[in-house]
Amino acid sequence: MTESNKLPSGRSRIDSLEMRGITKRFPGVLANYKVDFDVKSGEVHALLGVNGAGKSTLMKILYGLYHPDEGEILLNGKPVTISSPKDSIHLGIGMIHQHFMLVQTLTVAENVALGLPSSRGALTDLDRVSKRILELADIYNLKIDPSAYIWQLSVGQQQRVEIIKALYRGAALLILDEPTAVLTPQEVDELFVIMRQMVKDGHALIFISHKLHEVVEISHRVTVLRDGRKIGTRLTSETTKQDLANWMVGREVGFVPDRGKVEIGEIRLKLERVVCGSDRGTPGLRGVSLDVHSGEILGVAGVSGNGQRELAETITGLRKVTGGKVFLEGKEITNLAPGEITDRMLSYIPEERMRDGMIKDFTVAENMILREHHKLPYSRYGFLNLRGISKHADDLIKQFRVKTPSQETHAKNLSGGNIQKVVLAREISRNPHVIIAAQPTRGLDIGATEYVREQLLVERRKGAAIMLISEDLDEILALSDRIAVIYEGQIMDIVPRATATPEKLGLLMAGVHP
Amino acid sequence: MKKFAWLLTLVLALSLVLSACGAGATPTPAPVEKFRVAVVMPSAINDLAFSQSMYDALVRVQKDMGGPDKFEIVYSENMFVVDDAAAAIRDYATKGYDLVIAHGSQYGSSLQEIAPDFPDTSFAWGTTVDTFGLPNVFAYEAASQEGGYVNGVLAAALTNTDVIGVIGPIETGDAKLYVDGFKAGVLSAKPGAQVNVNYIGSFSDTALAAEAATTHIAAGADILTGTAQMVVGAIGKAEEANVLWFGTQSNQSSLAPKIVVASQVYHWEVVLKQMIDLIQGGTLGGQSFTANLANGGEVIEVNPDSNVFDYAKPLAEDTVKGIIDGSIKITLP
Amino acid sequence: MISDLFSVTVLVGILASGIRLATPYLYAAIGETFSQRSGVLNLGVEGQMLLGAFAAFYVTLTTGNLWLGLMTAMLVGALMGLAMAYVTVNLQAQQGISGIGFYLFGLGMSDLLFQKLMGTVETVKGFPKIHIPGLSDIPGIGEIFFSQNILVYGAYLLVPIAWFVLNKTTLGLKIRSVGENPDAADSLGVNVGRIRYFTIILGGILSGVAGASLSIALLNVFQQNMTSGQGFIAVALVYFGAWRPTGVLGGALLFSLINALQLWVQVLNIPVPSEIAVMMPYVLTILVLVTSVSKVRAPSALSKPFEREN
Repeated sequence: MTESNKLPSGRSRIDSLEMRGITKRFPGVLANYKVDFDVKSGEVHALLGVNGAGKSTLMKILYGLYHPDEGEILLNGKPVTISSPKDSIHLGIGMIHQHFMLVQTLTVAENVALGLPSSRGALTDLDRVSKRILELADIYNLKIDPSAYIWQLSVGQQQRVEIIKALYRGAALLILDEPTAVLTPQEVDELFVIMRQMVKDGHALIFISHKLHEVVEISHRVTVLRDGRKIGTRLTSETTKQDLANWMVGREVGFVPDRGKVEIGEIRLKLERVVCGSDRGTPGLRGVSLDVHSGEILGVAGVSGNGQRELAETITGLRKVTGGKVFLEGKEITNLAPGEITDRMLSYIPEERMRDGMIKDFTVAENMILREHHKLPYSRYGFLNLRGISKHADDLIKQFRVKTPSQETHAKNLSGGNIQKVVLAREISRNPHVIIAAQPTRGLDIGATEYVREQLLVERRKGAAIMLISEDLDEILALSDRIAVIYEGQIMDIVPRATATPEKLGLLMAGVHP
Repeated sequence: MKKFAWLLTLVLALSLVLSACGAGATPTPAPVEKFRVAVVMPSAINDLAFSQSMYDALVRVQKDMGGPDKFEIVYSENMFVVDDAAAAIRDYATKGYDLVIAHGSQYGSSLQEIAPDFPDTSFAWGTTVDTFGLPNVFAYEAASQEGGYVNGVLAAALTNTDVIGVIGPIETGDAKLYVDGFKAGVLSAKPGAQVNVNYIGSFSDTALAAEAATTHIAAGADILTGTAQMVVGAIGKAEEANVLWFGTQSNQSSLAPKIVVASQVYHWEVVLKQMIDLIQGGTLGGQSFTANLANGGEVIEVNPDSNVFDYAKPLAEDTVKGIIDGSIKITLP
Repeated sequence: MISDLFSVTVLVGILASGIRLATPYLYAAIGETFSQRSGVLNLGVEGQMLLGAFAAFYVTLTTGNLWLGLMTAMLVGALMGLAMAYVTVNLQAQQGISGIGFYLFGLGMSDLLFQKLMGTVETVKGFPKIHIPGLSDIPGIGEIFFSQNILVYGAYLLVPIAWFVLNKTTLGLKIRSVGENPDAADSLGVNVGRIRYFTIILGGILSGVAGASLSIALLNVFQQNMTSGQGFIAVALVYFGAWRPTGVLGGALLFSLINALQLWVQVLNIPVPSEIAVMMPYVLTILVLVTSVSKVRAPSALSKPFEREN
């Protein structure tokens, strides 16, 4: 074996890895069907697809967490069996999971040492592990303190621990499952620097994402999955974002939706110098005044953590207003109970849809009547009317194109996009007068994102007053009639869309008046 | 799979119920003349204490009345959960037993609820004097202060350190009567002696009872006594330290033959026979009975294996005689 | 009188009593610490102790061999642990409910066996006090620390061993990670089920020893329900001790010493109603718990069955 065949960590390279004809079925779902995929030393191969396309399943098969129903895996041309993570680790395959597999109460060194034989037999050898971590950190330029506890680290640092963990185990091939989903833009840049270095050193990387610009930026080749099937593999340099987007959703995607002309009507929602606290006890909103008119989308732009959550929660009655007033269609609703507020035809699409938007262990049908369950035709005299509920669910599933095996499926078993469709269906189907939509497309794939945006525009045409809180400037610019920029709990400025530019908004979001 | 786990749990729980009901609980259709008794007890029939005293008495009654064909006994033991006991009492009443005994003062309020529902069944409960004014409830108690007094007089005569330790469960009912009587007995014979009393707050904490005994011994006691079933732990400690022991409720000599001097033993058959006679004569309740030295419901059994038997036996007999003929008056605090 | 409490005899008595009383708690609570650190709440400790106590007593009574009795108690505890592990790991049962089931099983079964095999309370000669030469002759100290039986010494030896195993061995690292984040442990090739089997069975063995320490070392009798809730107090002590062997030791000693103190308070005729005296250990333990603000959380995966997500 020549020196060039070695990685800096001392481990031999994986020259090629090939998955052939992989099929995996789950009850009611065909997750992968005859998928071929390969990756070589020295490249980043991106695996692209919308939520639920089968990317994670394919990679969990490669890592030994799932067993394929059909197909084979070849390592350097030889067939291998991977029946557990132990096998894949042994073969030099590492995986950085989307949700970090770290034990919060243990140190970095303990997390790295976990599951590995110790040089001292039954006793731990954390000092030696720490030494090796520092060596690896030096080689790959990953700054990390082996004695720090995981809970003390930032998300970006925790990801580095995951990478170190894989490298420590001699990973020559690294699967990164949506590694950028949890990172700040700056942390994404740092990750890409690390990834480029690793590729240069001869590692093989698989990069799972549904963010086109990242795929284009970092990968050498890209494979697109849709509905569990492989659509194709291309050299990244020979493709465009538009091509990839079309592959992912299977049709032409219009990035800028048609907004249409709508008459702006009367004021539906009015905030007068609203003040409230935050969860940390610091001021959340510091005198916010806003109007939202019928037939209008008011975009609220801002960097996360500047009072967006507090804004949505004070309007919907979930957070106590400590100063100022909130009016809904002319009537004061300040500090009313959330139920009283929503009964006045205000709908809320919450930011944390898994936590605040639905009940995971309820069925799709049950989730669809959470808001109106106490009213006809869903219940009468306190008894649920199952037929009414079922018909309602069937209608909404059809109307909102929710992909679910049945209306009796538990919400937790749906993909992210379909969960948002359930929330959207529930909130919009009641013909609300006012809609508060907080980060309604965050984490959704292109198809679902487009769908959600379209629905908001439909409601706007129907005359609803919509407040769209989003960190995605493109989204704000594409949908809003006016744009309010929030900074440290205050509205910096409200600009009409016609005069808004990303540069201008960017300055306001940073707290600077242009 | 999860269903199976539930099933398993159910089976496990059932095994408790089965064991708690005991071996005797096999009711058979009775010939007319057979007298049928059911008893619910807080501890085991062989606890060498409160429950055993009732069970042994029932067995003696059975022998007198002509065996199991004439006198049927069923029992539920270890009914330390009052709700379970109440269910058992109701169950026995439903099955038509002639007499249902709730052997424990903690069962009183349950009985007060149940008894009116079964006007043709006779109930008895103890230890108390309260029949709730119900026509089908008998009450019984033991004048355990009398036996306590006799034990106390013997203890006073045998102590060298003039320190005597007492271990009780909870400061109430039968236990309090015994302890107070014992104290009165010691002080009548030796006014300068010191009687240290320790209620440990539990009928079942054997370990704490044992440690209480050790504490008494460390405090200088050379004679111990105690009441309720958890004292078996204390008797062991007394034996280790070679300290004399006085028992009550049942004869505890078998546990530590060398150190047990005497035990007050309840002969509930005295009160049971009166109740049975009344029931057979058509009176189902409304009266209360006391087992005492005079009517033979209480007996002081001096341990023949004890080193001090020859000294203790006549002293015990004299004291008993004095209590019966009234020459000794017991004044409780 | 209160001043009587401060004599040498009383202080020595309290310390010696407290150390003895803490013994069964230590075995049971250290065992429970292992299973809880791995994410399993075992509420069956009381039942395991009772069956262990009976097994130890009966085998000792019939064979006269204390060590055989102790080993039978460990075996019985291990078998109960094995069953508990099957129910919690393989069947993924709700741990609180199944634990109560095992408690009831131990309570009922030990009673049934006692009725069938013995029928009446008897006594055995238990593990004798071991006087450590030289040390046991030191006044006061000797009686407190160096004149106890072997199972008492064993309980206190167990504390540093448990600390060492949990914090300094690869096994301990696996146990802690399985209790905090079984998914992470699983992804690194740690067999979550096997680790939990190990800790539950270990907990069963130690609960068996806890029972044996009562029936053949400290009391030398067996009686139905003789543990009288000690198994449940042991579970509470694990919370009190913040899932650390040293914390468990502190809690067990505190509870036992106050219990020993209240015995003396009554014996010395200090005018405190007996009802108040017997409450002291519980009240003071709760007071310490609520006043010593601890940031320690329970193991994150405690009482959650592990299943690979699908």
